[in-house]
Amino acid sequence: TPDASNIPDASNTPDTLDIQSENILSDETSASNLVSDSISSVKAPPQTFSSRSSLDVNRSVSSFFGQDNSLSSFPSNRSFRTEPSSSEREIFLDSRDEYKHYPGKNPVTVVSDITGHSTCVGEYMQFVQYFRDRYSRLSEIIRGRINARPIESLKRRNFRRGGDGGSEEISIIGMVSDISSTTNGHKILSLEDPTGSFSVLIRNSDKELFELASKILLDEVIGVTGSITNDGSLMLATKLIQPDVPNSVQRRTGTHGKAVLISDVHVGSSQFMEDAWLDFLDFLKGESDSEDMRELAASVRYLVVAGDIVDGIGIYPDQELELDILDVYEQYRKAAEYFREIPERIRVIISPGNHDAVRQAEPQPALPESIQAYFPESIVFVGNPAFLELDGVRLLIYHGRSIDDLVATVPGVSYQEPAGAVLEMLKRRHLAPTYGSRVSISPEKKDYFIIDPVPDIIHTGHVHTLGVQRYKNVLLVNSGTWQGQTEFQKRVNLVPVPARVPIVDLENFDVKILAFD
Amino acid sequence: MGETIASKEMHEYFDELEARLKEAIKIANTARARGGDPKPVVEIPLAKDLADRVENLIGVEGVAAKIRALEEKMSREECALEIGRQVAEGEVGNFATKKDAVEAAIRVSMAVITEGVVAAPIEGINKVELGKNDDGSEYIRIFYSGPIRSAGGTAQALSVLVGDYVRRGIGIDRYKPRPEEVERYVEEVVLYKRVASLQYMPSEDEIRLIVKNCPVCIDGDPTEEAEVEGHRDLERIGTNRIRGGMCLVLAEGLALKAPKVKKHVNKLHMDGWDWLDILIGGAKTGGDEEDEKKNKIKPKDKYIRDLIAGRPVFSHPSRPGGFRLRYGRSRNTSFAAAGINPSTMVLLDDFITNGTQLKVERPGKAAAMSAVDSIEGPTVRLYSGDLVRIDDIKEAYELRPQVEVIVDIGEILINYGDFLENNHPLMPSPYVFEWWRYDYEAACSEKIPEDELKDPSSVLALRLAEEYDVPLHPKFTYLWHDINRTEFEALREFVIEKGNFSVEDEILRLPLKACMENGVKLILEKLLVLHRVKAGTILIKEALPFILCLGLDCHLKEKAQMPDTDNMVNAAALLSGFKVLPRAPSRIGARMGRPEKSNLRKMSPAAQVLFPIGNAGGLTRNLVAASNYSASMNGKIGEIEVEMGIRECPACGKETYFWRCDCGEYTRPKLFCPRCKIEVRNSETCPKCGRKLTSVANVKLDFRSIYKQAFENVGEREKMDLIKGVKRLMNGQMTPEPLEKGILRAKHDVYIFKDGTVRYDMSDIPLTHIRADEIGITAAKLRELGYVEDIYGNPLERDDQIVCLKVQDLVISYDGGGYMLRTAQYVDDLLVKYYGVEPYYNAKTIQDLVGVLLIGLAPHTSAGVLGRLIGFTRASVGYAHPFFHASKRRNCDGDEDCIMLLMDGILNFSRAYLPEKRGGKMDAPLVLTTRIDPKEVDKEAHNIDVPARYPLEFYRATQEIKNPTELEGIMDLVSSRLGTPEQYEHFMFTHDTSDIAAGPLNSSYKTLGSMIEKMEAQLSLANKIRAVDAPDVAERVLKSHFLPDLLGNLRAFSRQRMRCIKCGAKFRRPPLTGVCPKCGGNVVLTVHEGAVRKYLEISKEIGERYGVSSYTQQRIELLDKDICSLFENHRVKQLGLSDFMSGSAR
Repeated sequence: TPDASNIPDASNTPDTLDIQSENILSDETSASNLVSDSISSVKAPPQTFSSRSSLDVNRSVSSFFGQDNSLSSFPSNRSFRTEPSSSEREIFLDSRDEYKHYPGKNPVTVVSDITGHSTCVGEYMQFVQYFRDRYSRLSEIIRGRINARPIESLKRRNFRRGGDGGSEEISIIGMVSDISSTTNGHKILSLEDPTGSFSVLIRNSDKELFELASKILLDEVIGVTGSITNDGSLMLATKLIQPDVPNSVQRRTGTHGKAVLISDVHVGSSQFMEDAWLDFLDFLKGESDSEDMRELAASVRYLVVAGDIVDGIGIYPDQELELDILDVYEQYRKAAEYFREIPERIRVIISPGNHDAVRQAEPQPALPESIQAYFPESIVFVGNPAFLELDGVRLLIYHGRSIDDLVATVPGVSYQEPAGAVLEMLKRRHLAPTYGSRVSISPEKKDYFIIDPVPDIIHTGHVHTLGVQRYKNVLLVNSGTWQGQTEFQKRVNLVPVPARVPIVDLENFDVKILAFD
Repeated sequence: MGETIASKEMHEYFDELEARLKEAIKIANTARARGGDPKPVVEIPLAKDLADRVENLIGVEGVAAKIRALEEKMSREECALEIGRQVAEGEVGNFATKKDAVEAAIRVSMAVITEGVVAAPIEGINKVELGKNDDGSEYIRIFYSGPIRSAGGTAQALSVLVGDYVRRGIGIDRYKPRPEEVERYVEEVVLYKRVASLQYMPSEDEIRLIVKNCPVCIDGDPTEEAEVEGHRDLERIGTNRIRGGMCLVLAEGLALKAPKVKKHVNKLHMDGWDWLDILIGGAKTGGDEEDEKKNKIKPKDKYIRDLIAGRPVFSHPSRPGGFRLRYGRSRNTSFAAAGINPSTMVLLDDFITNGTQLKVERPGKAAAMSAVDSIEGPTVRLYSGDLVRIDDIKEAYELRPQVEVIVDIGEILINYGDFLENNHPLMPSPYVFEWWRYDYEAACSEKIPEDELKDPSSVLALRLAEEYDVPLHPKFTYLWHDINRTEFEALREFVIEKGNFSVEDEILRLPLKACMENGVKLILEKLLVLHRVKAGTILIKEALPFILCLGLDCHLKEKAQMPDTDNMVNAAALLSGFKVLPRAPSRIGARMGRPEKSNLRKMSPAAQVLFPIGNAGGLTRNLVAASNYSASMNGKIGEIEVEMGIRECPACGKETYFWRCDCGEYTRPKLFCPRCKIEVRNSETCPKCGRKLTSVANVKLDFRSIYKQAFENVGEREKMDLIKGVKRLMNGQMTPEPLEKGILRAKHDVYIFKDGTVRYDMSDIPLTHIRADEIGITAAKLRELGYVEDIYGNPLERDDQIVCLKVQDLVISYDGGGYMLRTAQYVDDLLVKYYGVEPYYNAKTIQDLVGVLLIGLAPHTSAGVLGRLIGFTRASVGYAHPFFHASKRRNCDGDEDCIMLLMDGILNFSRAYLPEKRGGKMDAPLVLTTRIDPKEVDKEAHNIDVPARYPLEFYRATQEIKNPTELEGIMDLVSSRLGTPEQYEHFMFTHDTSDIAAGPLNSSYKTLGSMIEKMEAQLSLANKIRAVDAPDVAERVLKSHFLPDLLGNLRAFSRQRMRCIKCGAKFRRPPLTGVCPKCGGNVVLTVHEGAVRKYLEISKEIGERYGVSSYTQQRIELLDKDICSLFENHRVKQLGLSDFMSGSAR
């Protein structure tokens, strides 16, 4: 068996991350002429970027998403996935009625999607059920790795033993219900399972553990191993286990062709960058000036939109002052006009976001049929989040509302590197762990935010910045936007990354960034 | 300070009050020596003047004497800065560290600026710390907190200046911010504006300018939940949350009050503040003021930007038909209270009554309303077609059902002083009787009776105009400026062609049908030409002046040609040959703000005694239930588990929970370390682990025997159903009030506030003159109270004579009187049964309360003011002299505050009961001001004008839109009387009112039921008033109230907390067990579908009915769909459909 620890993954090589993001974000000058530049660079596909960054010797060439990177990131000594296949089986069992298939040359299978299946009627027990489902499914993932006991059993047992009492190691799995600090700077996590709750102390002397604990979020499900104090009131933790992605997940084989990932188009906003957008459409139509771009366009099979295709109305106070199109349906008609220009050979998938005309509570169903009717027949409308298979490639789309929460609570996660937030989701196997903050939820029977099975690609948006990372063979892409900086973003010092488009090679999951500004 | 300057009569008045106060304190001291109060003496120190108050409030010894000395030589603000310097440099007071001295210095300075009344100096500044600049030097950080708001902008700004002033003396450097800190301030202030509210929002560059240059670091504790997003985790800023106090000081303090700060900087020759010039220069470039200087008053819509459902708009900005400005002061107006005719109150569907707050277009932001029946009421069109003006309230009630349209809502009386205070340019005065009278007096020497002058016949009016060239009397001056030339000509031609005028009865007859068809009826209405409709004919009485103004003769023949002008007032003048002046050049928009208040103060949940019973008394916190409580089947009855402070008796060593031991000795807290569980004496921290000690523990209390004993002690029978205690004590030592007090309070049905006092809240309304007959007493009683003569100097003999109100006398609502009576009876019971002394009040009816002493106290302040009750009013307000309100630092723009009985306050108040948290010391009588010195009250009161008549120059000046400060010299202002006995006496008013309490008893906002009912009433009124645009009201209400509410509740539903119905525990999310982990009780939602949907249907309905913008309608539509999507099971709805359509999205 291969040694999992020598697989360089994004989580423990932060330096690589920095350089990657720098490449995407900071290279303003070359970025501005990327389109013309890409003519030359695309000459040797699929290394659009490596050729460009090779002009820039100072930057870490090897770290980018081209061939070099994939070589270093994906050593071939992989084993097959060893994660219990139950979760995989379960998802299909669970969602038999959600399974939808769109056949054709570029087929799409919707594996999990709330659309048409929302059962919330606003009762208390539905909230309880929703969290119980989260607990049971996430704890199942952890259970494979530790031998946990129900929390209630800790109370019944007498741990008060003389002499060397308390040395016995015990594990529990719980949902975090509270996080606090003691006056001496230790951390206390309150963990809860369906049988009861218990407090876990993380001493600040255990640096590594403490650092991990400081990233723990409310309502995520974790496993803890430790010993119980003499009075039976507290567990002293020695190990924290997040569901995470098993190190041994094998890189799955892809299919052919490319997928273009975009989000946050914001049609109707006065900041909508129509010129850049039209350039983008020209590219998709194969009408780019450069031969290479035309060739690239010809290989595009899918276009995925992760929410906010229009700016909507009434999303924030005085929005009408920043709108070009005041009528939300007009906004969609305009958007539909654009999408009609996309050649039919490209399969378009649209998922909604918080600016769209669907309910704000997540999971959000697909856009209403009355709005879908504006668009070409072939477009696939899905909910948010949605788990899809694009000709065998597993794609999880989530608009990304929870990124706001993660930026606010997890140290080191920032808007400048949105994929870092997605990485945090993946470690928790949950798209929106914390309840009650910025994400509005609809308490459904099933927790649609759980990341299970592990997808090949997670595609998010929402924060208007671009980020690409890889974590244990999962490609994390946060696509940028087509909206310039808004008044609000100016105030909070958020610089959007508009008109940059990640394009994923579905065969080897390489990513290139195309610029249209 | 020093001696009060007043007449002999006033001195007697003050001496009498003080003598009775001393007597009361003596009684209270005797009583308290026998009871179980925290201290055996009265705990409210008396403060004769500002210096006393400051010293008592801040507790720096020796400050009072210094302040008195300084005040001799310099102004208040200079004195504040100077005393600050002295404290910082150690000339006064004694401090361990530099930091402590600076902190005390800033607090003392602020206290002086705020007259030692408000709590801001103690509660608004949390601490002062020294920080380190990047160059290694030190700087001052002032940590502001939320209650700094109560200091007001000027004091906030000056506190920063004080910080700078004192740091120089002791060698601390200026604050040198890092660039990221500057940006953090920008983001934070902007964010604060969104989550809370700011009166003034500086531009981002202004914020940068202030932060970069301000020599003191304006810091603060987090006050809001919201966090900044962009500039987080800065090393020198301890929080990512919003620091509300900082935002206030920066925006409403420094940015808004830059000119005032600048003034002091100049006076003190301080360097490093030149940047204020940029701020002042930059701020001026705004449009409003400039325009108004150019002799133009523009409509302002700020007051209707945020409309709330159920609070009607009475007039859109400056619209014809809205309130017509009339200058003057009645005895119940001024000081941000304005007068309207009580008929207006009635015809505006009772939404306004005495004390109701209106948000107004100008001169200030808000004003309380008072009934003044000597000004004009509304003009209405009845269903019969009659256009009548209704000045009489009886007539208003009679005609209200017949009103079709309110063409004009009548006059609003605003005094010059309010323009001066707000520094608002004087709006052109209408041509009113007061002004006409000057013109008449100047031109005519004939003696004509006053009544006739006020209400002349057309013959007299025309004669005076023709013979003496006096301008046409206001009664016959129509609103010519409200019609245009086309309308004027149409009217003229119509009267020539269709009119019929008979000289005998002076009635102009016009055919109704034709009038309607040509729109002439509407023109007559715009002009406010009153008329009746009879048998298809419009009848205009006394029509000759009107006919002449149209340029016709009495045969309705054209006498003069239409002049070439677009100014129709001039046209009327030229055509008639008279002087005609504008009748309503200044209109004032208004909407309802807050309703008036007159109600007893209850904490929530209400309490009658500060005695903790945990959950043993159920949700009502019932002591009776707690006395019968048992934790388990065979548990001891009446044993409850509560948090209490453990105390011990130094004499007999007994452990107890009370202030006083059975042996009579005062107990002291028994301190122990909460961790090491060891008892510690003579130290504040644990010798073992260094923790802060506490005396508080969870104890099993044998409540039943305490309860029984208390009943026995006061000799009451145990037959009460409900005595309300508290769940948990808030005071630091967790020691309860004597339970006996609760029993007696329950007996008399009175409730207490956090400090143990019984209070009654009322809206503040000013009152400068009274009549015995309108405050429920007699002239004889008034004489007993020391009133000797009326305003004209006649001896006081009849009940209807008007007398000048003494500055500390109060008139309260009858309901308040009833509550005070119950309180007085409770206090007497307490004195007799608990303390074992003589009763004090012996009051059987509220009449017996006339003359008793009260304490007035405003929220956010910590200084009570001594007052005397002299009468009662039907209105739901508390009337007092404006100086009395000002001494509490209130004006009358809709503020409310409380009164309590003096004896209740001095017997029951103790600092020991106050909660140990920020804001705990606010709204508590930490000191009592015994004598009002007008010099030491809020300066706003100095701008009140008190003449019987405004001078002619005033009316002329208004036509030029002069700045009110230019007229200060000729107006009889309080400020010009300061320092003379006249500061207390011989005030006058320009407009009388026959009944200060006329009008509806309560605003219909309070009497209408649901919000939807209120909204319906609001819109129906909007439809009736000509000056109101109903669709605009509907749109604004939807936008600023219903939609945010819907959105907010929808969001709240999806992020809601849960609650245990049994023990009340709250959960951030539902427990996985489903039930309460603490008590096993059922857990429920806190936000239900009903709360989310509450305004949905009404919003849809109103949106459609009033044709609001499609943007708003779409927002409602989307919200509707959102709500349906969330609360409806999609599977039920779509079953089948998705089956048939499988494989396709549509």
